[in-house]
Amino acid sequence: MSEDTRTNPAETREGTGTALVEPIGDGPMAATAVGLTKIYGSGDTQVIALDHVEVGFQAQQLTAIMGPSGSGKSTLLHCMAGLDSVTDGDVRIGDTRISDLSDKQLTLLRRQRLGFIFQAFNLVPTLSAEENILLPLHLGGREPDQDWEQRVVESLQLGDRLKHRPSELSGGQQQRVAVARALVTRPDIIFADEPTGNLDSKAGNEVLGFLRRAVDDWQQTVVMVTHDPGAASYADVVIFLRDGKLVGRLEDPTPSHVYDRIRALEE
Amino acid sequence: MREILRLTFRNLAASKLRFLLTSFAVLMGVSFVVSSFVLTDGLTKTFDAIVEDSNSGLDAQVRARVDFEEVDFVDLPIDEGLVEVVAGVDGVDVAEPGFQSMLLVPLESDGDPVETTGSPILSFNWTDPEISGLALAEGSAPESADEFVMDVDSADRYDFVIGEQYDVVGTAGREPFELVGLTRFGEDNAVAGAVLMSFTLDEVQRLTGLDGQIHWIDVAGDGVDTDTLVSRLNGALPSDVESVSSDVVVAEEKDDFSGALDIFGNVLLGFALVAVFVSTFIIGNTFNILLGQRVKQLALIRALGASRGQVRFSSMLESLIIGVAASIFGLGGGVLLALGLRSVMNAMGFALPAFDIVISARTVIAALLVGIGVTLIASISPARRAATVPPVAAMRPGFRFGSGEGTRRTIIAIVLAVIGVTGVGLGLFGNLDGTPLVLLSLGGGAVLVFVSVAMFAPLFSSPSASFLGLPLEHLPWSRTTGHMARENAASNNKRTASTAAGLMIGLALIGMATVVASSLKSSFRDQMGSTLTADYLVNHPSDQNFSEQLAAEVAALPEFSEVSGVRFGSIRVDGDTKDVTSTDFASLIDLLDVGVLSGDPASAANPTSMLIHRDVADDRGLEVGDSITVEFAATGEQPFTIGAIYENAFIIGNYALDDSGWEANFDTRDINVVAANIAPDVDEAEAAVALATVEASFPQLEFETNDEFRQRMEGQLDSLLVIINVFLGLAILIALLGIANTMALSVLERTQEIGLMRAIGMTRRQTRSMIRLEAAIVSLFGALLGLVVGLFFGWVAVIAIPESIISSIDIPLGTLAVYAVIATVAGLLAASLPARRAARLNVLDAIAAA
Repeated sequence: MSEDTRTNPAETREGTGTALVEPIGDGPMAATAVGLTKIYGSGDTQVIALDHVEVGFQAQQLTAIMGPSGSGKSTLLHCMAGLDSVTDGDVRIGDTRISDLSDKQLTLLRRQRLGFIFQAFNLVPTLSAEENILLPLHLGGREPDQDWEQRVVESLQLGDRLKHRPSELSGGQQQRVAVARALVTRPDIIFADEPTGNLDSKAGNEVLGFLRRAVDDWQQTVVMVTHDPGAASYADVVIFLRDGKLVGRLEDPTPSHVYDRIRALEE
Repeated sequence: MREILRLTFRNLAASKLRFLLTSFAVLMGVSFVVSSFVLTDGLTKTFDAIVEDSNSGLDAQVRARVDFEEVDFVDLPIDEGLVEVVAGVDGVDVAEPGFQSMLLVPLESDGDPVETTGSPILSFNWTDPEISGLALAEGSAPESADEFVMDVDSADRYDFVIGEQYDVVGTAGREPFELVGLTRFGEDNAVAGAVLMSFTLDEVQRLTGLDGQIHWIDVAGDGVDTDTLVSRLNGALPSDVESVSSDVVVAEEKDDFSGALDIFGNVLLGFALVAVFVSTFIIGNTFNILLGQRVKQLALIRALGASRGQVRFSSMLESLIIGVAASIFGLGGGVLLALGLRSVMNAMGFALPAFDIVISARTVIAALLVGIGVTLIASISPARRAATVPPVAAMRPGFRFGSGEGTRRTIIAIVLAVIGVTGVGLGLFGNLDGTPLVLLSLGGGAVLVFVSVAMFAPLFSSPSASFLGLPLEHLPWSRTTGHMARENAASNNKRTASTAAGLMIGLALIGMATVVASSLKSSFRDQMGSTLTADYLVNHPSDQNFSEQLAAEVAALPEFSEVSGVRFGSIRVDGDTKDVTSTDFASLIDLLDVGVLSGDPASAANPTSMLIHRDVADDRGLEVGDSITVEFAATGEQPFTIGAIYENAFIIGNYALDDSGWEANFDTRDINVVAANIAPDVDEAEAAVALATVEASFPQLEFETNDEFRQRMEGQLDSLLVIINVFLGLAILIALLGIANTMALSVLERTQEIGLMRAIGMTRRQTRSMIRLEAAIVSLFGALLGLVVGLFFGWVAVIAIPESIISSIDIPLGTLAVYAVIATVAGLLAASLPARRAARLNVLDAIAAA
């Protein structure tokens, strides 16, 4: 018995407004935000984390979000993923406006249509790797497509680790399990918040390679926050934030280009 | 040092909620203990004042000289003529005869007998209020033979109105009297629900069949020194009568009160200590969890230079503060609880008087001991573990506490178990000298057994929790949440075990009480069925004695063949007070199958023969025909011949006299039970009709067939069990609080994990379900463990209790299963609040929490 049914209120988009970001080609947008504003606190202690941000994340691409600390990059990711509420603006995953959704609907959205990879603490310690991978499906009372699961596990080289607990896995293996979990539901978007932040360069590059493959071979869309120019170079496009505003974009990035842009921002 | 202090206080202030939650469990235990002291101290003060007040007009008292009471609560009567003798003694100003009986029962206007919840119905002769303390509040005193007065509160409670006629049941049956006045004892009539009636002296003597006899003489002197007065009186009185000063009387009466209060207070204290014991487990658990959350901080201060000793000191200081706070607030809580208990008991009909709140030094010390003691004991282990956090844990993630010297723990647990079982065994079978020692051995042993079980529990709590949680995974609606709950419960065996421990103790005690009570009931049923063969039984619902006239009236009915009154009293054998029973030996074995081994009761129906139980015969090497010397309160030492030896002590006890033997040696004549057989060729309906005429004269008594009597007795056992379970329920409540506490702290501990799961798609409802199901699993584990321990204790108790009371063990599996289910559901509900909080966690904050 499945307790999950796809809820998808059909909504038509009314006008796109002026976009700071121009998509590559005519590909559809996996997620968009118009006039996205996030303010913490009030009065004197007010902090404007995001200031009327307008952005579109193209489908089947790896987009990196970068910026100095306090730029609002993590906040942008959280707002796009429905993990945080917005003060103002129109945020959509596909055609679904998420600012209208109740907590239950948001939860179901995250479960069925999104994937998550966090910097640390990605896995539930009391579950095995396999159980962690299948967790979003099981929460919905569904079983995975066996072939697909097999393919994901093999590609991520986790075949012999499935029964292990997170404490028995290295950092890199844990992140790979997180990637597998994100992939196994074939989500619309995978959101990754500093996925390689806690890893050594070898393990980190492995994970980034998998994310790249997910986009190239399996038509996934990945949006990644990172502070590492090397990681950002895996992306198709990098967008830059500073002080809560979108200040730039770079296509087909190389590590040194990204580094220069960051330097420029920090001055 | 100052830094350590500052750190300690800041820690406490920073997490006020945890502080409150932790201290609350201790607070409840302390309150319970304090309330028992406040209640007994307050009531003692009240009753002491009453005693002094009512005896203030008295200088001396004259009464029968006895070494022991021949029948409980009944005074040996003295000759009324002594009043003149006393009045004639030099220095005596006033000599008032005093009479008291519990035999008489007034009937309400609808004919129903007045019924109290255990308080006595006392009848007196009306005397000078200055001397007796019983004054007229309204109306007039009884002057003629058909008048009586009653105390104001009883009159109010039972609707007795001045000027109306009411029947009073005495020796000869019911007779009408007119209520002419209402009385008040002392200022507030604080008689704890007792009913006080006064008649003229002649009438009350006649009604109770004690014409020409009184129970005491109150004496007021004319200014002479009390000691002189007493010695002059003793000089003038016969040897079987004595005179004592009013101080002696006051001291004796205060003693009586405190004796009864002590028992009540100790029972309450016993339950309170159970609650305290449970609290200790709860607090220990809480501290351990708090510790887990503080690892980073502890590591940091160690890295900055704090020594292990300083860390340990800080932890224990924090506990000390919590303990002191709990003690202080527990004092207040205890007072409130005492007042609440009084209300509850009064609602149940006990009519406890109002009392001043007395907080004695003993109470304060007890509160501090319990509060501080519990928290310190509970914090020893966590404090020690806190000190083991290495400085490097601040920088390197994933520090885990050592699994706690596994072998050492197991050895300690085994040692404690052995000592505990020995203690229990000694207490039950060891013939220890004196009740306090027995209780210490039993109670202490039981505590150690519980502690050792709790120490063993972590060894099997994981597989148990895993096993118990298995069904949840197969239920379609809780597959994932059930799985999570099961994993969580099974993952931390220490925490699961210590959370469950609280519930274990409560359910072990309830389980034990249930097994003992159930065995008692079934043994009773068996014994009743096989031993008490009489067809009809008459007795008072509150076990009061009544006139022997009743036995005579039933015996006079042709519908009944064998009839015997049964009396219970006391004798002394070789200086030890023993219970003795009297029946009609001629009809004994037709009514009560005592299992005669040798001799013949019917042929021993004379005043110098006695029947004894096999145990007595074996102890003293006695056979039928041998002689035994027995001491009576009224007649002193008398020789008896053993007429028969029997093996079944049910109802009859170890020593039995024939009616003639009782009449020769006891002054009181009242009986406690009438047993009768329906004559052959007479059917039950006819017998019932015949009995109805006697019933009408004695409406306060129950006239029951064998079956009806048995059912009523079993009902009383059930009521007792309910009361015990209610008290134990309070301990269970604390255990449930502990479960809620643990789940709350466990949610705090798992914040990140819950946040993660919410992020990837767990709904709020699933979160709540997960927490609640985990609590259910832990509760079920605790309940089952407790019931197993309870079964063991119950079995041991049944073995220890003599065969005559419990002959076989009965384990009501159905009832125990119900308890387990209730405990599980209760645990599930207890976790509701933590579950809701978990569901309401802000996802981002949770993930970011470190």
